[in-house]
Amino acid sequence: MLKRIEDWNYYELLSVERTASQDEIWEGYQAALSTYKDGSLALYGLVSEVERGLILERLQEAFQTLRDPDKRKEYNLALLRHAPYFPPQAPFRKSVGKLEIEEAPPRKTIWARLKRLFVKNP
Amino acid sequence: MDKRIWAIGGGKGGTGKSFIAANLGLHLASLDREVVLIDADLGAPNLHTLLGMKAAHPDLGDFLTGSLPSLEAAAVETPYKNLRLVRGSENILFIANLAHYRKLRLLRQVRQLPTQNVILDLGTGSSFNTLDFFLSANPGVVVTTPEPTSIENTYLFLKSCIMRVLKLYMDHYKIRDLHQKMLDQIEKNSQSLYGFFKSLMETDRSYGTILYRALRGFRPCLVMNKARDQEDALLGRSVADVVRKYLLIDMKYLGAVPFDEDVHDSLRALRPYYPDHRNSAAAKAIRQMSEELAYSIEFTLRTPPEVRLPDA
Repeated sequence: MLKRIEDWNYYELLSVERTASQDEIWEGYQAALSTYKDGSLALYGLVSEVERGLILERLQEAFQTLRDPDKRKEYNLALLRHAPYFPPQAPFRKSVGKLEIEEAPPRKTIWARLKRLFVKNP
Repeated sequence: MDKRIWAIGGGKGGTGKSFIAANLGLHLASLDREVVLIDADLGAPNLHTLLGMKAAHPDLGDFLTGSLPSLEAAAVETPYKNLRLVRGSENILFIANLAHYRKLRLLRQVRQLPTQNVILDLGTGSSFNTLDFFLSANPGVVVTTPEPTSIENTYLFLKSCIMRVLKLYMDHYKIRDLHQKMLDQIEKNSQSLYGFFKSLMETDRSYGTILYRALRGFRPCLVMNKARDQEDALLGRSVADVVRKYLLIDMKYLGAVPFDEDVHDSLRALRPYYPDHRNSAAAKAIRQMSEELAYSIEFTLRTPPEVRLPDA
C-alpha cells in the first residue's frame, strides 16, 4: 500500500512478514541498520540526513517492540484493528509480456464515432 | 513457448552491462538453450567484441534502415553453439536518434523472434529509446557498482523509468495536464512521489488508481557488479530495499557479481570471459543470477502484492 515513510508499520520497516520468526526479525533489523547507517551508500542521492535519523529511531522502536513477545502481540492486535493482513498469494495472472499501453486499442476518432451514428451499415 | 526477454540496462557507463549480457547469454547457450543477444546500445555498441567477434554486417542498422526484412535475418551465428548475435550498428548518428516508428518496429520484431531467450544489451542513460527497451523487457535488469556515482545514477535511471511509465499511461488516458504537475513534484525529491499520488487520489481517484497500478506493474531487478567484499554484496540488498520504500516500485535483488581481474585479461585477449572461467566466483554468480531471472518470470507476471490503494 502506498504509504509515507512515517506510516510504515514495524514489519514493513524491517522488510519482514508479519509471521516472521525472532531470527528473521533479527536479520531484518541488522539489514535495515546497515542500510540506514551513517554514510550508507544506499542512501546516496535519495535520502536526506534528517530522514535517515528519523528512520533509525523508528527502527530501534520496531526492534524493541517485535522482539518482546507480549509487546509484539499487543502491536499485532493494534495493527489488525487498523488494517487486515493478507499473506502473500500465489501467482494467478498470466501476462502477455507487453507494455499495456502497446496493447490498448487505438482511440476512436470523432469521424469514426460520427460514422457509427449516421451510417446505418458502416 | 515461454518467451524470455531480458534487458540489461543502467544509469551509468562502465558498470558492466555488456559483460553481464554477454556472459548470461553464453551461460544459457551452454545449457542447450537458444539465445539471441541484441546489442541495443545505440550510441556505443561493443557486445561483439566481448564475444571475440569483429564488427561486420549484417547489423541492427541494416534491419532498422530496411535493408533486411526482419530482425531474425540480422541475428548472425557466433562461435558458440545456440548463441546468435544482432550486432550494434556502426552508423551511430542515425541509430542513436531512432525515429519512434522504427523503435516500435524493433520492439515488435524482438517479441516475434522465434527464440525462447532474448537478451537486450542497452546503452547508458535515460533517453526515451533506452527506457522503452528497458520497460518492454520482462524483466529489466539494472546493473550497478558499489560506488556513489553509480548508485546515484541508478536512482536517476529508475526515476526516469517511473516518469516514462506514468507518462505513457497519462498520454493514453489523455490526462496530459497532470504530466507537468508530476514533473514539478517528482523531480524535487523522492518523497514527493508519495505526495503526487496522495494529491492525485484526493482530486481524481480513478486516474490515481490507474497510475498507481501502472507503477506497481513495473518490477525491475538489480545486480551489484564488481563487488569486492561482503559489504558490497549487502549494499545491493539495501539499494533494492530503499527503492521499494522510496520509489514505490517492487525491485528484486538478483545478487552480486564479484570483481575479477581476469575480466580485464579476457577483454585484452578478445576472448569471452565465461567459457574460460567457469569455476570462478563471477561465473557462479552469473549462473545463480540466470536461475533467479528464470524464476523472476513468475515474479514479474504475478499480480503485485500490494494492490490495495491509499485512502484519499
